[in-house]
Amino acid sequence: MQNQPVVSVHEITKTYGKANEKQYQALKGITFDVQTGEFVGIMGASGSGKTTLLNILSTLDRPTSGTVAINGQDVTALKGDKLSDFRAKQVGFIFQDFNLLENLTARENIALPMALQNVSHSRQQQAVDKIAATLGIAAVLDHYPTELSGGQKQRVAAARALVQEPAILFGDEPTGALDSQSARELLNTMQGLNQQQGVSILLVTHDPFSASYAQRILFIKDGQIGQELRHGDKTQEEFYQEILDTLGTFQK
Amino acid sequence: MLRKLALGGIRARFRDYAVLFSGLVIASAVFYMFMALATNSAFLTANSPVSSTTIIFGFGEVLLIIITTVYIVYANTFLMSMRQRDYAMFMMLGAKSRKIAQLIFIETVSVGFLASVVGTLVGMGLTGVAGRILINMLHAPATHFSVFWGPAILATFGFFLAMFVVAAVINAIRLLKTPMLQLLHADTTPNRIRQKGWGLILEAVAAVILLGIGYVAMGQMMKIGLMAIGIALVTIVLGTYLLFNALLVALIDLLKRNHRFAARGLHTFTLSQLSFRIRDYTKILAVVAMLFALALGAITVGLGFQREIPERANELNAYDVVTIDAPASERAAATKLTGVMHAALYTQKVSGKTVYLNATEVNAHPLRLRVFEDNVAKLRQADAKTFAQLVQAGADTDMLVRPTDVGKGVVVLPAAQFAVQTGTTHIIRTYVVRDFIGNYDTIKTMATAQTKRFKVNPMMQIGQKFYYYEILNGMYSGFAFMGFFLGIAFLAMLASTLMFKILSGASYDASRYLMLQKVGVRKGLLRRSIRQEIGALFFFPGLLGVVHVLFGLKMFDSLLAHPYGNLIVPFGIFLLLYAIYYGLTVWLYETIVIQKSLATD
Repeated sequence: MQNQPVVSVHEITKTYGKANEKQYQALKGITFDVQTGEFVGIMGASGSGKTTLLNILSTLDRPTSGTVAINGQDVTALKGDKLSDFRAKQVGFIFQDFNLLENLTARENIALPMALQNVSHSRQQQAVDKIAATLGIAAVLDHYPTELSGGQKQRVAAARALVQEPAILFGDEPTGALDSQSARELLNTMQGLNQQQGVSILLVTHDPFSASYAQRILFIKDGQIGQELRHGDKTQEEFYQEILDTLGTFQK
Repeated sequence: MLRKLALGGIRARFRDYAVLFSGLVIASAVFYMFMALATNSAFLTANSPVSSTTIIFGFGEVLLIIITTVYIVYANTFLMSMRQRDYAMFMMLGAKSRKIAQLIFIETVSVGFLASVVGTLVGMGLTGVAGRILINMLHAPATHFSVFWGPAILATFGFFLAMFVVAAVINAIRLLKTPMLQLLHADTTPNRIRQKGWGLILEAVAAVILLGIGYVAMGQMMKIGLMAIGIALVTIVLGTYLLFNALLVALIDLLKRNHRFAARGLHTFTLSQLSFRIRDYTKILAVVAMLFALALGAITVGLGFQREIPERANELNAYDVVTIDAPASERAAATKLTGVMHAALYTQKVSGKTVYLNATEVNAHPLRLRVFEDNVAKLRQADAKTFAQLVQAGADTDMLVRPTDVGKGVVVLPAAQFAVQTGTTHIIRTYVVRDFIGNYDTIKTMATAQTKRFKVNPMMQIGQKFYYYEILNGMYSGFAFMGFFLGIAFLAMLASTLMFKILSGASYDASRYLMLQKVGVRKGLLRRSIRQEIGALFFFPGLLGVVHVLFGLKMFDSLLAHPYGNLIVPFGIFLLLYAIYYGLTVWLYETIVIQKSLATD
C-alpha cells in the first residue's frame, strides 16, 4: 500500500477573478504527495495560499487546473451526490472555528456522518463511544457545544471527523482558537492517532509549535512550495527550532 | 453619531430588515383592514341582519389584538437578536448605557412607526381592491363601506405606536440587564427541553379541557348567548397554545427516542432544528393555527352565505326567469342564457277572473311548482291532472301570470276546450339554468326589461326569482362580504406570519446547512430535511385550524341553513392555497440556506 499515496496533488493552480477582470493567482502550480500514515504540515504566512490549497484538497473548492487524487480517486472529477458521499466517507475535517452544529449534542454531532450513511443506531453508538474514549471526551457526550470548552469542542469535532475512519484527516488551524494547554493536548492526541492508529493527517497552520508535531513540513509562499523540512530523528525541540529558523529566513 | 449608528445597522442587514419590515407592514395592513369594518358601525348595522354584529366584531378585535401582540413581540425579539451583538460591541467600545438605551428606543420606535405608516397605506389599498372585487362578485350593496376610514387609521396607528413604545422600553431594560458576554453569544444557546413527563401531561390535559369548553361554548351559543364567543375566545387561544406546547415537545422527544427513526439520515438534525427554539415555535404555531382557523372559517362562512342566497331564492321559485309576452329584444336576451336545463312555452288565455292554460302544453312540460310541506319547500311537477290539487295545497302560481292578473284563479283546460275558450292570449316562457349567479347579468336584463314593460315597481314583479334574489342578497351579502373580506385579511396575515417565522431564522440556519454540506450531506437530503421541518410548521397548525373551524361552524347554525354543507369547496380551495404557499416557502428557504457553490455542481 505504501506505493499509492493517500493524497496526490499534481500541478494545481487557482486563479480568482473572471477572464476579463483583474485576476489574482492564488496558487501557481503545486505538486506534492502525502503517503498513507504520514503526518504532513503545511505552513505559510497569511495570504500565501494555504487556505485556498486546503479548500481544494478537501473538495470544498475546485482548482483552475491540475488534479487532486485522494485514495486514488480524482476528486476534481467528482460532482453532486458522489462528491457529497466522498466527503462524508473519505475525508475528515477539523476547522479552526470547530463547525459543530450547536443544536445537536456532542454525541449527535459525532454520530451525524454515520447517520447519513444509515448505519444502525447501535453501531453508531459503539463507534461514537470508541472514538470518544480515544479522544477523552466520553464524559461530555451529552452536552451541547455551548456547554463545552474550546478544547472539548475541538475534540468533538475531531471525533466527528474520524468516526467514519476517513482516508485522511485535514486540519485547518485546529489549535487556532485553543489555549496552549488544550492545543498541546489536542496535538498529542492527533500524534497518537497518527502513530498508533495510522491515521493520515494533513495540517495547515502558521503556528510553528503545531507544525513541529508533523513528520514533514511544506512551506508555501506566494502560491508555490518554497521549502520542505523533515522531522527525521530530531527531537521535537530541535525540529521546532529548525522550523523557527526556516521561517525566519523563508519570509524574507 | 448615534443616529448614524442606528441607521447604519439597518443598512448592514438589509435583507433581515426587509423580512421584518414587510412582516410588520402586513400585520398593520391587516389590522387596518379589520378595523375598517369593525369601527364602522354604520356599515355593520346596514349590512348584517344580526343586531349583535358590532359586539361580535368587538370580540374579533380582542382576538386580533392578541394575535398582533404575539406577532409584534416576536418581531421585536427578532429585531433584538439582529442588533444585540452590535449593541454589545458598542458597549464594549465604551458607549454609555444611557446612549445605548436611547439608540434602542430610536430604532425600535422608528421601525414601528414606519411599518404602521406603510402598513396603513397598504391596508387602504388592500381594503379598496378587495372591497371592489367582492362588491362586484357578490353584487353586494355594502353600503357605508369606506376605504379611507378615520377611526381605523387612528386605531392602527395608536395600537402599533403604543406597542412599539412598550417594546422599546422593554428592549432597553432587558438589554442593559443582560451580561455583555451573553449578548455576544445569545443566538447560539440551545433551549434544553427541561419539562418532564408529568408537566407535559398536565399541560396536555389542560389543553384538551380548555379546547373542549371552547368547542361546547361555540356549539351552545343559542343557549349561552354572546358570552359564548368570549368564553371560546379565551379557552381556545389558551388551549391551542398549551396543546402545541405539550404536543410538540412530547412528539419531538418521542421521535428522538425512537432510535431506528432518529438514527437515520438527517432525522436527528431535523428534530433538533425543531426543538432548538421550541418556545418560539409554539407561540407562533398557536398564532398560525388561530389565523388559519379564522381565515378558513371566515371564507367558509362567507361562501355559506353566498351559496345560501340562490338556494333560498330557489326555494321560493323553481324557475330562474319567466317572461310573459316577451318582445324580440327579450327573447334575444334569453338566447344568451347558458347551461339551460329546462325551457318551456305555455299559451294562456285570460278571461274575467280566470287564467286558462292548455293541458297539452302542461302535460308536455309539467309545471315546476314549489309547495311548502312541513315548512320545507318541495319541488313538485304539475301536469294537467295534479295541477289543481297542488294549487289547493298552496303552490304559488304568481310568477306564471302578468302582474295585473295576480290573484286570479289559474285553471288547466283540456286542449279542445282551451281552443274554444275566449280571452286575451299571452305567451309564457319559463327557463331553468344550471347556475343562476353565472347568468346573473342576463337574468337581470330580462327581469328589469319586463318590469319596465309592465310599468310596475320591481318589488311588485311578484314571483320573479331575480327579485327574491335581490331581497335575500340585500340581507345576506353583507355577511358574505365580511366573510370573504376578513378571510383574505387573515390569510394575508397567516402567510406573513409563517413566512416571517421561517425567514427570520434563515440567516442563522444558513451557517448550519453550510456545515452539513461541508461534512458531506447530499443536497437532496438537505432539501428533504428542510421540507420536513417546514412541513411540520405548516401541518400542525393547519390540522388544529381545521378542527377549530369544524367546531366553530356550529355558531352559524341559526343563521345558515346548512353550515356544514359543501365544505369541500372552501376547504379544498384553502388547502390548495396553503399547499402552494408551503411550496413557495420551501423554495425560498432553500435558495437562502443551501449554498450553490461548494463545488458540488
